[in-house]
Amino acid sequence: MNNLRVAPPMEYAGAERHSNDRQPDRYKFGRVNRYATALLDWHGWEHRYWRIAAMLATFGLFWLSMTLPLSLHWQVVYGIVVFAMSLYIRRYTGTMFTIMMIVFSINQSSRYLYWRFTETLDLNSWTDGVFGVILLLAETYAWIVLILGYVQTIWPLKRKPEPMPVDLALWPTVDILIPTYNEDLKVVRPTVLAALAIDWPREKLTICILDDGRRDEFREFAHSVGVTYLARDNNLHAKAGNINAALAKTSGEFVAIFDCDHIPARSFLQMTIGWFLRDPKMGMLQTPHHFLSPDPFERNLGTFRRVPNEGELFYGLIQDGNDLWNATFFCGSCAVLRRSILMEVGGVAVETVTEDAHTALKMHRRGYNTAYISVPQAAGLATESLSRHVGQRIRWARGMAQIFRLDNPLLGKGLNVMQRLCYSNAMLHFFYGLPRMVFLLAPLSYLFFEARIIHASAVAIAAYALPHLAHANVTNSRIQGAHRHSFWAELYEATLAWYIFRPTLVALFNPKLGKFNVTAKGGLVEKNFLDWEIGAPYLIMLALNVAGLLIGIARLFWWNTFEADTVVLNLLWTIYNLIILGATIAVATETRQVRVNHRVNCNQKATLKLAGGRSVVCRANDYSEGGLGLQMPAADMAPLNSQVRISLFMGDREYVFPARVISLRDTFVGVEFEGLDLQQQMNLVQCTLARADAWLDWSEHREVDHPLTGLKEIMFHSLKGYQHLGYYVQKRVREHFRGDTEDKKTDPFYREISKKLADRTLRGALLHKLSNFADTSRNFLFRSGRS
Amino acid sequence: MTVIAVISPKGGVGKTTVSVNLACALAARGHAVRIVDMDPQNAMRLHLGAAPGDTNGLIHQTLQQVSWHYAEYDSAYGVSFIPYGKASEVERITFEAHLAHTPNWLRDNLAALTDELTLIDTPPGPSVYVQQVLSIANLVLVVMIPDAGSYATLDSIESLLAYYCGDRSDFYGSYYVLNQFDGDRPLNRDIQYVMQSSLGDRLAPCPIHRDESLSEALAYQQPVLQYAPHSQAAEDLQQVSDWLQERVADE
Repeated sequence: MNNLRVAPPMEYAGAERHSNDRQPDRYKFGRVNRYATALLDWHGWEHRYWRIAAMLATFGLFWLSMTLPLSLHWQVVYGIVVFAMSLYIRRYTGTMFTIMMIVFSINQSSRYLYWRFTETLDLNSWTDGVFGVILLLAETYAWIVLILGYVQTIWPLKRKPEPMPVDLALWPTVDILIPTYNEDLKVVRPTVLAALAIDWPREKLTICILDDGRRDEFREFAHSVGVTYLARDNNLHAKAGNINAALAKTSGEFVAIFDCDHIPARSFLQMTIGWFLRDPKMGMLQTPHHFLSPDPFERNLGTFRRVPNEGELFYGLIQDGNDLWNATFFCGSCAVLRRSILMEVGGVAVETVTEDAHTALKMHRRGYNTAYISVPQAAGLATESLSRHVGQRIRWARGMAQIFRLDNPLLGKGLNVMQRLCYSNAMLHFFYGLPRMVFLLAPLSYLFFEARIIHASAVAIAAYALPHLAHANVTNSRIQGAHRHSFWAELYEATLAWYIFRPTLVALFNPKLGKFNVTAKGGLVEKNFLDWEIGAPYLIMLALNVAGLLIGIARLFWWNTFEADTVVLNLLWTIYNLIILGATIAVATETRQVRVNHRVNCNQKATLKLAGGRSVVCRANDYSEGGLGLQMPAADMAPLNSQVRISLFMGDREYVFPARVISLRDTFVGVEFEGLDLQQQMNLVQCTLARADAWLDWSEHREVDHPLTGLKEIMFHSLKGYQHLGYYVQKRVREHFRGDTEDKKTDPFYREISKKLADRTLRGALLHKLSNFADTSRNFLFRSGRS
Repeated sequence: MTVIAVISPKGGVGKTTVSVNLACALAARGHAVRIVDMDPQNAMRLHLGAAPGDTNGLIHQTLQQVSWHYAEYDSAYGVSFIPYGKASEVERITFEAHLAHTPNWLRDNLAALTDELTLIDTPPGPSVYVQQVLSIANLVLVVMIPDAGSYATLDSIESLLAYYCGDRSDFYGSYYVLNQFDGDRPLNRDIQYVMQSSLGDRLAPCPIHRDESLSEALAYQQPVLQYAPHSQAAEDLQQVSDWLQERVADE
C-alpha cells in the first residue's frame, strides 16, 4: 500500500461513524477507552516478535474457542457471556470496539459453523443428507460473505477531497463523456446543461454527447449548446464500446463519465481532480450515485428518504471501506479516470457486461490506485419499476459472475491480498440468490418430508445458532446502521433472489452467454404484464410456506407430538420466512407514478415577483424540470394563472425566470416555467439540480437504526403486503362473479355513473367505498397478469 | 453617539427610503435610533407618518436659535425623527449661509440631544449639509443604483470621503449599498459584480431590490418593513441592517 493512504485516527474514525450526541462522554473518553488506547500505544508493538507472538496467541485462542466441545449447558453459558460482552462494549464509540465486536461475531459464527460441520450432518439417510448438505453449503456461503463483509467495511477511509492548486495553469484538461443510447432528449438535456455549468476553465473542458442512437435531434441539441456530438457507425459492446470509440476521438488528460441521466453538481471536477494531481498513480476516482427519485422499493413501500435504500450500503459504506484497501471500483458513472492509465488497460473493458468494475480490476492488477469520495456530486433517476430494477440487478449479477469466471480476482497477478478479498466479496455477494432461496424454503424440508436437515435437538440448535445470528445482527447494525437498517438486507435479497440466481449460475458455467441490457430510465411504470412475472416466484414460495405452516400445525398437535420442539423451531423459521415474503409482496405492489418530471425536495430561498411589480420572498420546497413548488409566507399572495417571475439565487448571483402560477393550496404556490431560453434553462439547472450543495442533506430525515426497529419495519411492510394481497384476491373474486373489467373501472365516465348511483343507496355507498378501496390498491401486481 | 451618514452621488436613488427603513429595522433590533433629515426636500417625515401640514423642523429651530428638542418627534415605529422643516427660499439661503460659517453647527446640536444611534439623511451630491455631516459621521453608507452613471461617480465619492473622514480616528469606515436592483437586467447584475470586485466587504451582502411595495408603503406612510414584511425589499433591508449592525458593533 502506498504512503498516500493514511488511515484515519482511531477515535476520529469511530466517533464519526457512531456519533451520538446523547451518548454520555464516558463512552467516548471513558476508562475502557483509555485502557484500549494504552494497549494500542504499547511500545512492544514496535518489535516484530511481540507482534508475531500476539498473533499466534490470538489465533490459538480463536481456534480453541471455535472448536472446544462444550456440553449444552456450558454452550448456553458461553453464548450468553460472549453476547453480554458484545452488548457491553457496544455502547462505546471507536473503531477498536467495533473491531472487538466483529471478532466476537466471527468467533460465534465460526463456532456455529464448525459445530454444524462436525456434529449435525447425518449422511446415513438419503433425504436428510441431501437437504442437510444443501443447507450447510448455503450457510457456509453466508459465513464467507459475512466475514468478507467485515473485512471490507472494518474501517471506512472517509477520504476528503484534495484541494486544487491556486494556479489555474496547473489544472488539467478534462473530457466529460455522456453516453446515451435510447433515452429521451428530455432526460439527457439537464445533464448536458449541468455539465456546461461545471466550474472549470472553459478552454480545458470538452463535453461530449456519445449518441449510440445516432439521432438528429441530439446532434442539433449538441450544436445549439456548443458541445461535441460523437456517434459511431455500430453499437458494438454497448456503453463500453461507445466510450472507447469516443476515447479515440478526444484527448483530455482526464475523462469524466456520466450516465446520461446523472446530473453533475458544478463542483464535481474540483472535488475530484485534486487527488489525481497528488497521486500520479491514481487511475480512477468514484463518487456515489445519488438518486433523486425513489427506487421501486422506496416507492412501493413509501420509505423514500426515511430508510436507506438498497444502493446506499454500497455507496455509503462498502466503497468507502474498499478505499482503505485500495480496492474501490468503478461504477460506470459519476467517476473520473486518468486517460493514460485507462488507455494502458485497453480502454473500458468489453469482456463482461459490468465493464466498469472490470476496468478498475485491470487498473489494480497493473498496480494503479483508485479512490472514493463519499460526497454525492451528481444525482440521477432511480430505475422506474421493479421489473427494470430487477433487470438492472440481473445485469450486475451476471457481469460480476462473468468477471469471477474470466478474470478471477483470487487468481492472476498484481493484486494484494486485501484487494483480492474485496473484489471477491463484491462478486460473491451476487451469488446470494440460491442460498437465499434455500433459507426461504429450508424449513419445508422438515415440514413436508420430515427431513432432519440439522441433526441436533432444537435446544442445541438454538444454543449455537442464536449467538451467531444475534452477534451478526448487532455488529452489522453498528457498522451499517447509517446505511442499511437491520433486516432490510433480507428483504432486498429475497426480492431479487429468484431472478439473480439463474443468470449468475449461467454466467459461472458459460460466461460468454448473456447480453447487455440497457437500464431504461425516465419513463412511467407502464409494462404492466411484467409485474405478474416478477411476482410469481414469491407467490409460489409464499404458498409453499403457508402449506408448510398448516402441515406444521398438524404435526405439532397430531402427527409429530413426540418432537414438538423441532416442529416449533421449523414453524418459527417458516413464520419468519412468511414475514419476509409478505414484505416482498408489498414491494411488488407497484404504485403507479403520476409524474413524468420528478419532484425533488429542496429548501432554498426564492422570490416571487408579481405582475404589478411587487415581490414576495418565499422558499422553494421542490423543483422539477418544468416547475417549482413555493412556500409563501401567507395565503392568497399570488392569483392563479398570473404571469410571475421567479428569482433563484446562487451565491450572491440572482437569476430570474418567467413562470405562471398553476396551482394554489393554502400557502403553497405551484408555478410552471414558461418560455425559458437556452441560457435560462442552463441557469435553472445550475440554481437547482447542479448546486454544489444540492445533495448534502439527503439523509437528514433518516431514522436511526436499531436491530429490533428494523425487524419491526419489515413486519409492518409485510402486513401491508398481506393486506394488498387480501384486497387483490377479494377484488379478483368480485370481478370474476360480476364480470367487471378493469377498463370499465378506470373509465372516467363509468366512474362518474357509479359515483352517482352510489350516492343513492346505502348499499351503493358501501360499494362506492369498496371501489375506492380497490382504486387505491388497483396498481396491484396481478391485475396486469391479464393484459 | 454613533452617527451614520447616508449619502448618495445622485438624486432619485431612494436614499431617504433606505435610511428610514434601515432606521426602523435597527430600532426593531433594540437600538435607540434617531433619524435626522438634512435634505431640503423634507420628505423623510412622510415615511414615518408625520402630519402633512406640520412645517416644523430643524431649520426653524436653528434660525430661532432654540434646541432641536422641539423638532424631535416620536414615530409609531420605534424611531424618533427630526424633519428638515418646511421653509421658504429665503430661509433656506440664510440657513445654508449659517451652516457655511458654523462648521461645528451639527456637532453642537447633536451633542445637546440624548445619546442615540443617529442616522442622517442628506441631499444628493456635495453640499454644505454633506460637509457638516461627513465631518462628524462615524460611519458612512453610500446608496447607489446599479447603473453606469452611479458607478462612474464611485471615484469622486471615494475622494470626498477621504477628504472629510479619511484621517479621523472616530471614523469606522464607509460602506455601499445598491438600491433599486433588478435581477432580471443583465446590466444590473454586471454592475453588482464589478462593485463587488472593487469594493469587496464594503458592499452590502445583498442589493435592495426594486419593489413596488416600497412605493406603496410610502403611500401608506409606513416603513416597508411594516407595510409588506414579506416583500423582497423588506427582506433585503433586514439583511442590510443586520450587516450594518455588525459594522456598528465592531467598533
